[in-house]
Amino acid sequence: MTQTKPLLPKISLVVQRYGLAVSSVAVALGIALFLASQGIKDVEFPVLLIAITLTVWYAGVGPAIVAVVLSSLAFNYYFTKPRHTLNVDPSDIPYYAVFVVFALLITWFAAVRRRVERNLLESRDQLQHEVAIRTQQASLLNLTHDTIFVRDMNDIIIYWNRGAQELYGWSAEEAIGKRSQDLLKTVFASPTDDPIKPAQAIRNELLRTGRWDGELRHSKADGTEVVVSSRWSLQRDERGNPVATLETNNDITERKRREDDIRGLNQQLERRSSELEGTNKELEAFAYSASHDLRAPLRHIVGYTELLQKHSSAAMDEKGRRYMTTILESATRMGTLIDDLLAFSRIGRAETRETMVSLDQLVKEVRSEVGQETEGRNMTWKVGALPDLYGDRSMLKLVLLNLVSNAVKFTRTRPSPEIEIGSSDHRANGTVVFVKDNGVGFDMKYVNKLFGVFQRLHRADEFEGTGIGLATVQRIVHRHGGRIWAEGQVGVGATFYLSLPRP
Amino acid sequence: MESIGRILLVEDDPKDTELTMTALEDYNLSNEVVVASDGEEALDYLYHRGKFQRRSGDNPAVMLLDLKLPKVDGLEVLQRVKADENLKMIPVVVLTSSREERDMVASYKLGVNAYVVKPVDFHEFVNAIKELGVFWAVINEPPPGSVRKK
Repeated sequence: MTQTKPLLPKISLVVQRYGLAVSSVAVALGIALFLASQGIKDVEFPVLLIAITLTVWYAGVGPAIVAVVLSSLAFNYYFTKPRHTLNVDPSDIPYYAVFVVFALLITWFAAVRRRVERNLLESRDQLQHEVAIRTQQASLLNLTHDTIFVRDMNDIIIYWNRGAQELYGWSAEEAIGKRSQDLLKTVFASPTDDPIKPAQAIRNELLRTGRWDGELRHSKADGTEVVVSSRWSLQRDERGNPVATLETNNDITERKRREDDIRGLNQQLERRSSELEGTNKELEAFAYSASHDLRAPLRHIVGYTELLQKHSSAAMDEKGRRYMTTILESATRMGTLIDDLLAFSRIGRAETRETMVSLDQLVKEVRSEVGQETEGRNMTWKVGALPDLYGDRSMLKLVLLNLVSNAVKFTRTRPSPEIEIGSSDHRANGTVVFVKDNGVGFDMKYVNKLFGVFQRLHRADEFEGTGIGLATVQRIVHRHGGRIWAEGQVGVGATFYLSLPRP
Repeated sequence: MESIGRILLVEDDPKDTELTMTALEDYNLSNEVVVASDGEEALDYLYHRGKFQRRSGDNPAVMLLDLKLPKVDGLEVLQRVKADENLKMIPVVVLTSSREERDMVASYKLGVNAYVVKPVDFHEFVNAIKELGVFWAVINEPPPGSVRKK
């Protein structure tokens, strides 16, 4: 505690204090001598005592003793017989003694009084300071948005801050003095829905550890319910007896509601995903039986037609033989269709095993697979520097095989076919790979149909195909989180781009 | 002529059976073929039960097994055969329309000796059957206790 102003008017300098003692005695002596010369007798006694009193009051005990000594000497010298000596006539000894005793008594009383007064003032200042601090603390508690209230061990509310008023709707005047249970109707969040047991358990925990936190439901002034996250601290007196509980509450009603919403949405999501899973299973079963059941009759058509051809070819005319060839071609085409469709559906079902895949290596493998078709076609290959891609190797190979097979197929009518495979590294798009040909190309207005299942931009007698290849490519690229797009011009060529994200 | 092992063909579809037999006939392998039209009949044959009660005691040199069969399906037949001390040595070739990976994996896990997808193309089909027949019934030396015609 810093003292800003002196407790009492007090002269601080030593010289001044002793000066005061000497000068006040001198002045008093002067006055007494003057009055004595004027014939006014016996004033020296009170006047000197006044000087001592003033000295003790303003200059403290030390100078007062000096003043007592000086005035005793002066009293002796000037006012006791024989005068103007420091001897005292036996008849004046009582008078002189009374003076000295009076002077000492006054000094002593003044000193005591001064000390008491100083103590009193100190206590007052201390009290004022403490009051100021408490007031500041209380107003801080009032400032916070948190809901804070204090209840004594009988559950009577003894403090209620502004946050509590804002949350519950009762003012401090309304709340203080009421039982907290009556006002707030506290319900503990408990799985048993038994409000007694958890309350008891919480009280025990509070008494044992001095604190508790958890979730509660409270009633507000308007009758609605609020969910709060509550923290309790036990206050104890000096002897350790519990005296009150400070309860800090945060309104989590909204958060709770959102949590419930999220839980509900999650359940919905779970239900949907299990529905989807079911649908997926059905699709899988369908694809499975398609693989098995559709292929068998097809094989029979082909098998028996072949047998028919072998046995009765001679008995048939040209037309009959052409019919049989057509049946065989159609059945074979249907077989290819079924295989492609199954491969397409398998992409959605199969698990991907992602690794770093050398695109260079993939291109080599794919080129050797289409080698038969390009034989004797004067094909020019331009293969640039190719990066490694991150993905499922067999799927990425299928992508490349489809794109390259297409390029080979659609350059079939060109006298000097050319296929270019390259890549560019765009920061935004990840790795971009392109396959470019100078084939028959396509009209950009059909670019959206390019990747649809069974979508074909050419007649079957121009270029064979099932219309599933590019759909498969797109599906694989999408499963890898990538993008595929194409540019083309009729009679000039087509370029297919795909971008895959980096791992 | 070299000896021909007995082939147990387990196939429920008579058309497939006929086509298979036609293919085998071309190579004179059809005489030693026994046909079981479902899984139960196949097991009856192997365990000398039902209509096969009085057959000779030896095991076939190879079993050509379709997977999709009535009553007891192919994978179950395969499992029973490979779990039986007396039958597990019989070479089993799965001959199916299914190219599904899980069928393939399941078959190999059960210890199948070969897995062949029936080709749609007839020439390929005939070729496949012929090579299967020639390999398993003629070239391959079957385990002891198999029926083998000199």
